[in-house]
Amino acid sequence: MLAYLLLLVPTPPLAGFVLLALDPYRLDRRAVRAAAIVAGCAPLAVIAPMAIAHLTGLWGDQIAPIFTLYVGSYEVALAVGLDTLSAVTALTVAFVSACVMIYALDYMSGARNADLRRFFALMNLFQAGMLSMVLAADSITFFLGWELMGLCSFFLISYNMTSPRAFAAGQKAFVITRIADAALLAGLLLLFLEAGSVRLSELIPAGAAIDTARGPLIAALLLIGAMGKSAQFPFHTWLPTAMAGPTPVSALLHSATMVAAGAVLLARFAPVMAANDGVAAATAIAGVVTALFGAASAVAQTDVKRLLAYSSISQIGYMLIAVGVGAPAVAMAHFVVHALFKSLLFMASGVLSHAGAGGTSIAALRGTARRAPIAFASFAAGAASLAGLPLVTAGWWSKEAILASAFEASWLGLAVWAVGLTAAALTAVYAFRPVFTALRAPETETPRGRESWLAVGPLVVLAVLALAGGLGVKPLTELLGGHPPHPALWVELAGASAALLGIAGSAALTFVPALADRVARARRLRAGLQMDARYYALLVRPYRRLVRRLSGGRGEWVERVVGRGRGAQGLERELEGAVRHARQPEGASSDPVGQATVVLGLWIWRALLLPFSPDRMDMAWMWGARGIGRAAERARRLQTGRVRDYALALAFGLAALLLIGWGMTWR
Amino acid sequence: MTGVSFLLAIAAGLFAAGLFGVLARRTILMQLISLEIMLAGPALAFVAAGAHHGMVEGTAMFLIVLALAAAEVALGLAIYLQLRRHAGDGDADAARQLRG
Repeated sequence: MLAYLLLLVPTPPLAGFVLLALDPYRLDRRAVRAAAIVAGCAPLAVIAPMAIAHLTGLWGDQIAPIFTLYVGSYEVALAVGLDTLSAVTALTVAFVSACVMIYALDYMSGARNADLRRFFALMNLFQAGMLSMVLAADSITFFLGWELMGLCSFFLISYNMTSPRAFAAGQKAFVITRIADAALLAGLLLLFLEAGSVRLSELIPAGAAIDTARGPLIAALLLIGAMGKSAQFPFHTWLPTAMAGPTPVSALLHSATMVAAGAVLLARFAPVMAANDGVAAATAIAGVVTALFGAASAVAQTDVKRLLAYSSISQIGYMLIAVGVGAPAVAMAHFVVHALFKSLLFMASGVLSHAGAGGTSIAALRGTARRAPIAFASFAAGAASLAGLPLVTAGWWSKEAILASAFEASWLGLAVWAVGLTAAALTAVYAFRPVFTALRAPETETPRGRESWLAVGPLVVLAVLALAGGLGVKPLTELLGGHPPHPALWVELAGASAALLGIAGSAALTFVPALADRVARARRLRAGLQMDARYYALLVRPYRRLVRRLSGGRGEWVERVVGRGRGAQGLERELEGAVRHARQPEGASSDPVGQATVVLGLWIWRALLLPFSPDRMDMAWMWGARGIGRAAERARRLQTGRVRDYALALAFGLAALLLIGWGMTWR
Repeated sequence: MTGVSFLLAIAAGLFAAGLFGVLARRTILMQLISLEIMLAGPALAFVAAGAHHGMVEGTAMFLIVLALAAAEVALGLAIYLQLRRHAGDGDADAARQLRG
């Protein structure tokens, strides 16, 4: 029965969301913050003892069935469960999200557009979604949590509702992840048909045992789903623009936990992946391509948040490499370490940009090392972990484990290792660019700012973990059922030298003006290979052309005539007002120029707008709707109230029944 | 035409004549009489079929039809009296308040 305590993990944030979203008591800001922080930290308090008990072996695998339904030979059994993977991921998610929530309390109170209630409600909903996803023991709960995160991501990216850019970014993220989610749903459904159950404990072995063509298909669909959520190449375009959201959102959703959910998915379904060599190889290749591409794009960024976004893309690519070469445990170790240092980097960059000249560009960070020393120190710790500074950082241990696993895997792994090593060097280059910039003397001297302990507290905790967490990588890998690789010494030395070389390159890029100029001019690389423009040309424009052709060019016309954002109706109403004014005797005769504009407006209205104002589709629908009314009018006449008519109807009914009965006996 | 088919044809004719009466006459009393004729048709069919198969159930069904007819007449006459009292005459078409 203790297993049912697992339900208490996602429940507090969900309750927090309901409370904040419905807001029955008209909470003031202080109460909103209190509710959000209690709901945000409660999961950690619940999961921590359970996960530790499980990881130390005191408490075996748990499963808490919620609802079971049998349909024929199929079984739909919703449940939450605790195994090693979910214990590790849930603990990480709960810990990082608690840190981010504490940080957000301080960060958001200073934000200009601070609708705290909406912000914290959505953050809590996100937590509930992510926690129920990692704790899910069946594919339905898993998918629900997955989609809930996608929804929260959309709302939080567009959190700043006055900014059209934020809106467009949210829309883009939603559409692109939706495409991948459709693939994931298809994969899960196919898997369900194979296994006859939604329980992951039956689904995964059944998926691994398929020997028909369905096996690779399912694995490929799952891979596409993971790549969409994790913003892997070529789905990466939504993540950099998603940085339009507030910094805590970026720290929690778009770097540490949610986008890494794709890696969690692949680690969860690793047996299915491992059973299909081709898909596993594709996973590794997709991972290494993304890792290299993300790192190269990050080097050219001028905005620190976008830099970190590309860095997330690249780092999750490493996790995909690990899954692809058959070491999901190592991938999860990197997931944990990445969650720690990436949330740290984002939150520290938020503090630094507040302390700096404002704005999130890297150039604006100049001199912030002196203004916000604690935030700078923790940022440097995070960057060191990201760059994989040998021996002293957690990032080095987990990344080395991935690269070494690839090295030991196969001939393909060897190629993956070589490219991954290049990406690691580039990682060090971009990771230290903001650090070195922050160290440079500021253009204008300003006094040291105050650093709120609410913001800095989580930073320090995370910084310590990002450095010292390396000790945990090996035990974690073993706990997750993996084998920590034991590469040759020269392989490790190559990894270490890549990081050091990268840091040297980063210093060169920052302090040598000629090189810095070249980075500033690398616009093509900065735009992420301009995939956005390509998607626009390849997909969006043909689609719009198709729509225009199907609508006979009407939609486009109205848009051009009326202008964006203003419906035809608004213009019509305005014109009607003008016409009424012109019809008044003094208004019409006294001002010929004014009259001319009114006549012109009237002409445009009649010629261009009137034909569209009852839309054809609308008219078709309304015809159907009115048809029902007409049919009712006719049906009414049947009710004459005369007994004889009813008797006649009865007689016809009887005759019909007799005819049918007669027909049935006919052979 | 053998005996039983002849009787069944007469039964069908009785039923049809009764139905015509119900549909064509407007006086409630006449409609009640027509209903009685309609009931007589199936009753005759039951008796004829029972006699043809040599089974007593046909006659038993006739008794049930008789009881049904008696009950129906009692109910019908009560309705007739009520209508006379309210509408003043025995016209069935006058009572059409249920019109939609």
